[in-house]
Amino acid sequence: MTDPSNSHDMESEGGIFTPVGSRRTFFTWVSGAIAVFIGVALAVPLLGYVISPSFKRRKKFWKAVGRVEELPVGEPRSLDYVVTEKDGWMETKAVKAVWAIKQEDGAVTVFSPICTHLGCGFRWNPEDSQFQCPCHGSIYDTTGKVLGGPAPRPLDQLPSKVEEGQLLVLYKEFKSGLTEQVEL
Amino acid sequence: MASRLYEWLDSRLRLKPIGKTLLDEPIPGGASWNYVFGSATLFLFVLQAVTGMFLTMYYVPSTDHAYDTVQYIQHEVMFGWFVRGLHHWGASAIMLAIGLHMLQVFFDGAYKPPRELMWMVGIVLFLLMLGFGFTGYLLPWDQNAYWATQVGINMAGRVPIVGDLMVKVLRGGETLGALTLSRFFALHVLFLPSMIIFGIMLHLFILRRVGPAGPWDEKKAKEGSETFYPRQVYMDAVVMLGVFLIVATLAATIEFPLADKADPSDHSFVPVPEWYFLFYYQLLKYVHGPLEPFATWILPGLFFLMLFLLPFLDRNPQRRISRRPVTLGVGMVFLVIVFGLLGISLRDLYAVPKTDPSVIRGKELVVKFACKTCHRIHGEGAAIAPDLSFVADRRPDREWHLRHFRDPQSVSPGSFMPKLPLSDRQLNDLTSYVLTLKSGV
Repeated sequence: MTDPSNSHDMESEGGIFTPVGSRRTFFTWVSGAIAVFIGVALAVPLLGYVISPSFKRRKKFWKAVGRVEELPVGEPRSLDYVVTEKDGWMETKAVKAVWAIKQEDGAVTVFSPICTHLGCGFRWNPEDSQFQCPCHGSIYDTTGKVLGGPAPRPLDQLPSKVEEGQLLVLYKEFKSGLTEQVEL
Repeated sequence: MASRLYEWLDSRLRLKPIGKTLLDEPIPGGASWNYVFGSATLFLFVLQAVTGMFLTMYYVPSTDHAYDTVQYIQHEVMFGWFVRGLHHWGASAIMLAIGLHMLQVFFDGAYKPPRELMWMVGIVLFLLMLGFGFTGYLLPWDQNAYWATQVGINMAGRVPIVGDLMVKVLRGGETLGALTLSRFFALHVLFLPSMIIFGIMLHLFILRRVGPAGPWDEKKAKEGSETFYPRQVYMDAVVMLGVFLIVATLAATIEFPLADKADPSDHSFVPVPEWYFLFYYQLLKYVHGPLEPFATWILPGLFFLMLFLLPFLDRNPQRRISRRPVTLGVGMVFLVIVFGLLGISLRDLYAVPKTDPSVIRGKELVVKFACKTCHRIHGEGAAIAPDLSFVADRRPDREWHLRHFRDPQSVSPGSFMPKLPLSDRQLNDLTSYVLTLKSGV
């Protein structure tokens, strides 16, 4: 250790010495730089640690929802199926439902069960042959077109295909309340 | 900008006198690299607190989820492995820092009057830190955590009269389970931190009231004092940087692996405690019979009591180590015993297993013959045939495996294990690998 009393760049006040001038600046600067370095070296990984799950996209799979020949023509059916969803460290089974309508030519249209207005689940009214949302009264026809109410866009169609008589659906969710379709 | 903000705050809150009190504390004899151990310990404590808070963001203290959440942190959260690594290696580093801090104070005689209280609060802080180590070790809920805690709790049960009660209270019931995990979690993240923060404040308060001890050489001490800021701050900062770089490098390079999920029915698992408990673990191997209670609780109890009362037991007013032959002798004997036991224990644990090339070839054969189509090994593979994760615990006999691989039904009638087309060398390699599948490796 250097003897503080002999250092020419030390100043004394009542027998207590303290470095002054460029020496003092040097110590201050190094201490500050180390604090900033450690802070940044911790902050970067910790920030990634906190936000990373927020941006993880869910993996999507084609799911069999039912047999095509069981669907009546022109009459929508709500089809339930079970999906395994990864929720953080947990895997949960969730029941999803979609609306499927077989057209006259045999093609099947699949709608997301969520109203495009504010995300309620809409119903099928067989008397009026309309989809009606109980929350704010949006009305759609069997092609998904808006007939009335506050809905900003037609019903969201989901990708679907038929393999060996099975109707397969790729479940997606979209932001509600927009005129454009934006996937979640 | 910063200085203008400071002026603005100072004109309202009158900060300058506080800054002066905090930073201009006189250090007798001047700043020194000898005085960095306390700051290093405090820095590591802050690092543990920060990484610990972030770990609780994903960790769940229930026997259903704890293990999965730690796996999730380790493998799925971005930098999760790094945060967990920092917390793991930080725990070891803090024990080391406390050890060095205590040795420095011990050999420097800095615990002597008027600093008895600072030493005694320090011993309590040390005990609290051991409590952190013990409660934190259970939280990942893997085999090592479960069985090491089982042993630790049972040791408390050896204490006469109150032992049984203590065990029940620690476990929160008759067995180690969900209630134990949640109370250990509460202790680790709420009770112990609030106690230790109070203890640290008290430790620092006493330091500021009595002042640092300074050099034992009175001539040197009389030459004058130096302000804490900036040179001691600089030395502390440099050491903190070194400590941080070491811990971060360890966290980034050496993964602390999880064992299999805790399985209370698997009594074959041999747990290994953390290195700072190893010397004690080794000691207990030598002591049997009527001496056992002596080693399990009388000796540690006496040790901590003597350590706590050290400033009153050692009445020699001299601080210079060469004038304190008895203290020096006792200290050295203690260190030789601790490090001797630690050395023996480490040798026993780590000197033996060197991976045999035959084992590596055997492991490749497991892939080649798709053994995991039916067998499960450490969570991988189907659960159609027996789980082989710890098969060598059940079947340690080499001959049995050789016969079994040649003709499975000859030793295991009715088994649907196919006869594999193995050469003699492959037979040998596969057997060598299978025999490594045991607990405690």
